[in-house]
Formats: sequence, structure tokens, C-alpha cells
Amino acid sequence: MATTIEDDETPFLSSSSQPMGMFTGDISGTGNQSNKNELSTLNEPVLDTIKRDLGAVLRKFGYAVIPRESSTLLQQWDLWGPLILVTILAILLQSSSTKASSGVEFAQVFTLMLMGSIAVTVNSQLLGGKISFFQSVCVLGYCLLPLLLAAIINNTLLYISSKSAIPVFHIIRFLIVMAAFGWAMYASTRFLGQTQQPSRRLLVLYPIFLFYFLIAWLIILHAHPK
Amino acid sequence: MMFSSDGFLTDNNASSANARQTHVFTSFPNSAVDVDDERPENKSTTQQQSDSDKYALPLPATANESAPEQYHMWQIEYYQKYFQVDTQQVLERLIGSMTPRPNKSYFDSTIRQNPDLYGPFWVCVTFIVTVAISGNIVNYFHQSDAEFQIDFSKITLSAILVCFYWWMMPTSIYFFFRWRLNRIEYTFLELLCIYGYSLTIFIPISILWIIPIGWLQWTSTILASIISGSVLIVTFWPTINADHKRFSTVSILAVFFLHLLMAVCIMLVFFHVSDNNINPTTPSITLSTSTILTTSKKIA
Repeated sequence: MATTIEDDETPFLSSSSQPMGMFTGDISGTGNQSNKNELSTLNEPVLDTIKRDLGAVLRKFGYAVIPRESSTLLQQWDLWGPLILVTILAILLQSSSTKASSGVEFAQVFTLMLMGSIAVTVNSQLLGGKISFFQSVCVLGYCLLPLLLAAIINNTLLYISSKSAIPVFHIIRFLIVMAAFGWAMYASTRFLGQTQQPSRRLLVLYPIFLFYFLIAWLIILHAHPK
Repeated sequence: MMFSSDGFLTDNNASSANARQTHVFTSFPNSAVDVDDERPENKSTTQQQSDSDKYALPLPATANESAPEQYHMWQIEYYQKYFQVDTQQVLERLIGSMTPRPNKSYFDSTIRQNPDLYGPFWVCVTFIVTVAISGNIVNYFHQSDAEFQIDFSKITLSAILVCFYWWMMPTSIYFFFRWRLNRIEYTFLELLCIYGYSLTIFIPISILWIIPIGWLQWTSTILASIISGSVLIVTFWPTINADHKRFSTVSILAVFFLHLLMAVCIMLVFFHVSDNNINPTTPSITLSTSTILTTSKKIA
């Protein structure tokens, strides 16, 4: 039985706007909350958009470094931060001077981080976590910031002390990377640990531990440029 | 039924009742259920809902469901039933796979009611990671001035070997039991579980393999495969024992031998220190001592 289409009614197959309005903002994982203002941001100047988005990304970096508030990072997820971090880290971890194999190394590191994030996220979802796929990738990516800082410090230390193979520098670099690993672990535990029931928390945290340990290992390895 | 002015076939009574209403669907039809059966029931519930409280918050989709939802293969909830474990249970199973007890199979006490895929998968991944890292450390000590980079081709090789072992053994045992006994003694999931957890003991062993002493590597490999192999044998014992004596010993030996073979392969590919692979600095040491001897002979 078909229903008639009247001209002054809302078109076929759309429900009334009221229940839909009640949905927005109640379900975590719907991404940005600016759905209502979507049309109005099309007309603003590009500089405003860039400033706003950049501000959001930088604010999330701040939350990742000093884990104090746990709702913003999860509810307003975006993937810019993880993309920037992973790309810079993959560039920093290239070590060989030839062009051909350095491209391969970049791809290896990038793929490793991508697959690792996906594996950790799917694992926490399978264990019944109340977190969506992109939220988890977002948190994991943003919490990489301490490791990136450690890689940058390592590179500058290498540059400064390039000719002398004093063992002290090796130990200092190792300690810096381990400290950054602990920091990244603590930050992501604060965010992702809350989303699981307590009896399974360790099961979810262990893959995150493996993931960050692998990345820390790659940074430690990157110590002998030719 | 008559044609309206727009040209649509419509029911006159229904159109007057529905003229100013919009339906808010709160229970979604299960696509596995026949559509014709679902439609009248949906319509009746939505009619009641929209008549009574048009502007109230709609109920969540699962509010009217009495039976558990049927998930599809592409939804992640479909696979959640393989991951119903707690931390405590996983730890119990890990320890149980490393301690062979002659009469009690840990499988019956822990895994049988609730096989899971979390443990086996992450044990395999951890094993591959520790083998990769330990192999890297061994390379560093062998070739002291060479590049200290991860060799992804070797890691891929070891990953394929371990995953192949983890999947092939359960497959072959499953089909073997089906052919031999004509019944399904262990489900495929339980076999995957058993074999996944049996790799647990190799994780600390792979860290031991870094020490470049030949006999230590061999003895630790053989000891570890004896321990986890015996856990495997204790698990399969009730089923195999019911068969002919000769056949049961052959199958037990086959299980044990393949387990040993896998461990030995990984050790040889990554870690083994044979006489050929001794540190390149030692020939120079022997060279320098021989030159010192010859010069001392000349002087003397």
C-alpha cells in the first residue's frame, strides 16, 4: 500500500525532526557535535576554519600530554593528530641514506603503526568495550606524542654527539625512550581503561603495551646512522 | 482501494487516519525473519507508539526484543562470543598450558566450557614479537658494526611459520578425528584454543635463546617442547587411548614431533650459534696471536 505524497507535507520517508534532534549528543561516537551548524560553516572564511580545527588539534595534544580531562578527546575525535604524528615519526625513523630503501622503511613503519592501531581497537571492541573504532584510533594516535618527543630528542642528541661513541649517551637515550614509553602508556590507560569493565581491563591494556613497546623499540634501534 | 488524485493506489480509510502522522520506528525488523511476518507486527506497535506519545523519546531498539539479536558476519558483535573471558581466566589458562598434570587435563577444567580466541591470538603475536626482538639483539652482538635495523623479511617468515603451525595442526587433527572416529570429539575452536595456549612456554624461552651457548639453546628448546608437548598429549589422551595401541602411540609421537620441529625451526633460523657463526673478531685475535708468536720466534 503506497502512501500519498502531499505537497505541503514533509517528503516521503523522512520522520519528524523532533526525535532526531533528541538523538544528537546523547550517543557517544557520533563525532563532531556541530551537525546543526554544518551549513553555516560553509560560508565562513577558510582562515577561520583552519584556525578552529588547528586549535582543536592542539588542544587535544595538550590533553594527551597532561591527561586531565577524559571526555573531550573521546567525544570530539579527529584523525589529524594521529596522521601528523605517525608521518613525522615514520620520517624520523628512516636511517638509510639511499633513496630506494628509505622509502621502503617509511612504508614499513607507517604500516606497522596503522595495523597496530587497528588491531588494538578491534581487540577492545571485541572484548565488549563501549568505544567506537575511530575514537580508539584517535586516542592511541594522540598518546604517541611523548614517543615522538623522545625520538626528536634522540635525533638531536645523536647529531650533537655524533663522533663520540660514549656509552653514557646510549644509556641516556635508552632512558629517555623508556620514560616516554611509560608516559604514553599512562596517558592511554587513563583514557582507554575507563571504557572497559574492570575484570577485563588488563586484557585490553596488554595489546596497547605491546604496540607502544614495539614503537619504543624502533626508536631505540634508530641509533646508528651511517 | 481506489486511485487518488496523484495517481497512487491507496486505501481510503488508512490515508485519512495516517494523514497527519509520521511513524517513529522503534523496533527494527530482523532481516533473517520473513518480511511478510514482520510487517503487520511492526505497524501495530508503531501505531500504538505514535498514537499514545508522539513527542516522547523513542525507546532504544533493543527494548522490545525478547530473543537475543542475530548478528551478521560483518558486524563486530558477531565475533564477541569468542571473546567472553576475564583476566583471571586467561591467566589460569596460560599457567595451565605450561604445567602438565598426569591425570587432570587443564583443558577439561578451564577451556571446555568457554573456548576463547583472545588468548591464542595474543600469545602468537607476543611470540612473534619476542622472536623478532631477540633475533635483532642476537644480530647486534654478532655483527658489531653492521646496521642495527629490523629485518622485516625474517619477521614475516617467522610470523607465517607460527601462524601456519597454529592453524594447520588444529585443522589436521580435526579432520583426523572426523575420519578416524566419525564424530566430532573436539570442536575446531577448542583445538585452536589448545594449540594457541601451548605456545605460551616459548615466550620466555625465546628470550633465553639470546644467550649464544649452543648446548643451552638445544636443551632449552627440547625441554620446552617436552613440557608443552606433554600438556598437549594429556589433553588428547582420553580420545587417543581408545584406539589401537600402535596407532595411538604413532599419533602421540606425531603430535609431539611436530611441536618439537616447529620450535627447532624457529631456533635455527634466528638464533643458532654454530661454529661458523662465531664473532668475526675472533679470527683477528688468532691472527694477531700467531703474528706475535712468529715475531717472538724470530726474535728468540
